Amino acid sequence: MKLGLGRLRDVLKTGSGSGEGEKKQVEGKNKAEKEEMQTINEENKPEISERNEGNTMELRKAGLESKKEPLSPADRTGADKTGLIFFPAFDWAISPTHPEREERLLYTRDQIFEEGLMDLPEIAEYKPRLAEYRDIARVHFCVPDIKAQATTPHLIAAGSCLVLGDALMKAEVKNAFALIRPPGHHAMTVAHGNRGFCNINNEAILVEYLRKKYGIRRIAIVDTDVHHGDGTQEIFYNDPDVLFISFHQDGRTLYPGTGFINELGGPKALGRTINIPLPPGTPDEGILYVLDTLVLPILKDFKPELVLNSAGQDNHYTDPLANMRFSAQGYAKLNEKLAPDMAVLEGGYAIQSALPYVNTGIILAMAGLDYSCVREPDFKPGMFVQAARDRKTLEEVVAAQLENWKNRDRLVESEVAKHGDFYRRKKQIFYDTDMIQEFQEETIRMCPDCQGYKTIDSHAHRSGDDTRIFGVSIPIYACKNCQAEAREEYRKSLNHPEYEYVYLQDKKEDEYRAYNTRTKQEIAY
Amino acid sequence: MLIGIDVGGTTTDAVLIRNGKVCSTAKVSTEPGNLMNSLLEALDAISRDVDPEQLERVVFSTTVITNLIAEGKTDRVALVLIPGPGINPASYTYPDSFFLKGAMDYRGREIHPLDEAEIRKTVGLIRESGFSRAAIINKFGQRNPFHELRIEEIFREIYPECKLELGHKVSGKLNFPRRIATAMLTSATRGHYIEFVEKIKKSLEERNIRAPVYILKADGGTLPVEKSIEFPVETIFSGPAASTIGALALTPEGQTSVVVDIGGTTTDLALILSGKPLMASKGAKLGGFLTHVRAFAVRSIAVGGDSVVRVKDSDTGTKQITIGPYRAGPAYCMGGKETTPTDALKFLGLIEVGNPESAGEAIKAMASALGKSETETASLIVDKVAQRIADAVNEMFFEWEQEPAYRVWEVLQEKEARPENVVGIGGGAKGLIAEIAKKLDAKPVIPEYAEVGNAIGAAVARPTLTLNLHIDTEQKVYSVAEEGEIVSLNTTNFGNFNKIRLDEAEAMAAELLRERAENFGISEYADEAEVVNSEVFNVVNGWYTTGRLFDVNMQIPAGLIPEWKRRENV
Repeated sequence: MKLGLGRLRDVLKTGSGSGEGEKKQVEGKNKAEKEEMQTINEENKPEISERNEGNTMELRKAGLESKKEPLSPADRTGADKTGLIFFPAFDWAISPTHPEREERLLYTRDQIFEEGLMDLPEIAEYKPRLAEYRDIARVHFCVPDIKAQATTPHLIAAGSCLVLGDALMKAEVKNAFALIRPPGHHAMTVAHGNRGFCNINNEAILVEYLRKKYGIRRIAIVDTDVHHGDGTQEIFYNDPDVLFISFHQDGRTLYPGTGFINELGGPKALGRTINIPLPPGTPDEGILYVLDTLVLPILKDFKPELVLNSAGQDNHYTDPLANMRFSAQGYAKLNEKLAPDMAVLEGGYAIQSALPYVNTGIILAMAGLDYSCVREPDFKPGMFVQAARDRKTLEEVVAAQLENWKNRDRLVESEVAKHGDFYRRKKQIFYDTDMIQEFQEETIRMCPDCQGYKTIDSHAHRSGDDTRIFGVSIPIYACKNCQAEAREEYRKSLNHPEYEYVYLQDKKEDEYRAYNTRTKQEIAY
Repeated sequence: MLIGIDVGGTTTDAVLIRNGKVCSTAKVSTEPGNLMNSLLEALDAISRDVDPEQLERVVFSTTVITNLIAEGKTDRVALVLIPGPGINPASYTYPDSFFLKGAMDYRGREIHPLDEAEIRKTVGLIRESGFSRAAIINKFGQRNPFHELRIEEIFREIYPECKLELGHKVSGKLNFPRRIATAMLTSATRGHYIEFVEKIKKSLEERNIRAPVYILKADGGTLPVEKSIEFPVETIFSGPAASTIGALALTPEGQTSVVVDIGGTTTDLALILSGKPLMASKGAKLGGFLTHVRAFAVRSIAVGGDSVVRVKDSDTGTKQITIGPYRAGPAYCMGGKETTPTDALKFLGLIEVGNPESAGEAIKAMASALGKSETETASLIVDKVAQRIADAVNEMFFEWEQEPAYRVWEVLQEKEARPENVVGIGGGAKGLIAEIAKKLDAKPVIPEYAEVGNAIGAAVARPTLTLNLHIDTEQKVYSVAEEGEIVSLNTTNFGNFNKIRLDEAEAMAAELLRERAENFGISEYADEAEVVNSEVFNVVNGWYTTGRLFDVNMQIPAGLIPEWKRRENV
């Protein structure tokens, strides 16, 4: 591999060949699974905040680490390489004939290796690593625990994003592409199982990791997968600092059946979720129209510190699971125009007819190289033309969403006025892969000083098995009052026997806990 | 008796080994213009008193190909390229390229046919332009060589004298640009290389030496000299390979070592991990082109015993020592004009050679410029050189640890190794080895005959061989990348192709490797073959499995011949 200067410097500094960060990774799986368990009985109720101050062990774990000033992102103007992790997980599948199976990226490997892309001076190939359990806990309430939802391949896919995120923040690379599987954009805050081939949300894990480690705040995620990125949307729905834009085949015609233009974000984040349902059969022209007239202008206005492309490849005209007409040229052009800081692979199941060409196109486009000769064997320019009616539909969607974007502050103001101290909504979530029906009540604290903490009461039904959990989530930029109130909420909930598990996600303190009300054991990640 | 000769850039080293013992050694200066003379001079020096009948094996390592390329004395080659979709071929920097229509995909399925009229026109043009050699390379030609073979036929028809190289015969690995470069360099050097081999054979005949003659490759393996004509570029970088095998031969089995060869201008490094020399994960770079040639992971850094030492003002105003990257002749204590690390080593009494008074003068000049004592100054120089080398060693280990991983188990496999030994090979700057070892927390080892370790390596290296088997049961074919034939599975003993198991595919690869080894005249090493990687993928159409793809990579890895290994047991 080619080493960025920053990493080389690390090597030379320590003289041992591995910087402090790397050393931890070398410990690999053990480190990733770091968790602490303790039993809590009636007399010994957890008094979290006090114990944090009293117990040096805990201090080292949560206190000191989180109080350490975040690093600053380095200036990337001098960086000229595109970071790439190719992690095809050749030894992992959901099941042998499932679309998410071993050889999904096999032909992509053949194509990009045969092209010699890894040899190009514009490309720096990185090695994946495992994400740590706390990286997962920063985003998800995993039921019953992280181990059950995030298997080793999931940890590597998420960890790959973190490796590239670090490379980006240290300015070793100008942009990056995580060409990885398994995917993640359907995974929501609560993870009872696999939905839409996803267990944990790679982009969300990356966003919260970068915020914690480098102190960045405003991030835009553009989901270009053919399916609505409902997981990512749900995770950041109430976060005004994350702009989530998803274009996808109209939810009335495709899984997961959401992503309509009225889904605009929680009361304090209205307009920060922008959905663009596309008519089935939309070709390059339609998608690039949406990009030019809606996505790019909004991004320019939002001024994010980081733009992520949640990069599904199933808009392709040969994809077996969807009905769009996007081409490899279209994908390359999309990434050239969008110029994301980082792209993360999501879906895309035309593993022979699309992926080898689409991925070659995206890599070349991100590296600033000529992609004009990348095309599918049967592709002919002009083979797909947008229907006039569909064009009109798109124009209407674009106009409506531009209006919403323009009025977002007013929308927030009038919506917030409608609610008192709390905003509640009920949701039903279906897990197609694992056949789970989940009922949720989400409560947001309508705090005047911050985006407010969130609690989720979640009840999952699967055949012969019901689980109810309660989770408390404190945003990284929450105010002190919200933090204290939320922690109290967690403490009180430990006594509720109707919940099997109670979770605390304190991103401000970088402290994550899961309590089993049956065994009365608490795990700290 | 075994003979090993390494023709290096400065000296040509030779050894004669009898019953696992070094009987005699020789070192002669290399004549850059006439490698053959140097080689024969060294050969004669050690075999003078030996009955040629008693010689069992002669191995050469030579820079002949490297020199040809460096000096631009290679032949012109017309490159006939069929790139298909992908990177814009206009971005390639290969000379004399002729691009043709046509394309294969990753499964070896034709996606665009050839244009016969275009081929005929191009062959005519190549002939008119005076090329006598051409290389035909198709993207994914290794998955289906049909296009390369058809173009070859047209050449045979209208320009039969043209010497041809086909991409799929040169390498079966994925990476079209590297295959272009490897085919181009193979074609461009083969003519000269054949002349070189002919001369060697003639000279040996004149000396009545009838022992088998081998040539050392960049991967530390030997190849019968007649066979090496097929793969001339594989003989590049055999010098560092010889040193590494030499270090392997001269240190205890199974250990992890850094091989350090300190020269005048540069220091060459290689790694031996648990007794196995580390291969570069990708092919070597040659003449500015990345190739498919397998080579050891070696690193050359621009600091050596004769590097010029200077005192400079740093940005902060303090005085600093800089070392290299240039050499201005020998060290001061050896009659040169500039202070060098060798002078510092001499001053500190860490080496034998050199004039102590001149070393003192050299260090004194530096010390006064630096404003430090002479001992401090000399120690600082030695420390700085040792640190540079130790840093480079750490970097090599780090890069090895950070090599990309494509499978879950590869990520979980925690690569971590630190050197147990720092092995000094070659004649230079022995006193530094201990300093480097100290920095790496390892044991310094300077084996007996270290100064001809490279020649020992050549003498005792065993053959290497690779075999990459690809089976596509949906298309009912298999291919061996190194052989370049697409063979129907009907010719095999498999009954139901869709029931082939991975262990059966591995057994088939082992059998094919045995045949290939016989073909190379090295069948006695076939048992040393190991599976490097093997994998199987389902081919699923819709929701049904319609076939399976197998890839089995096998190799006879670099190592030592049994004659040498037996000696350790005695």
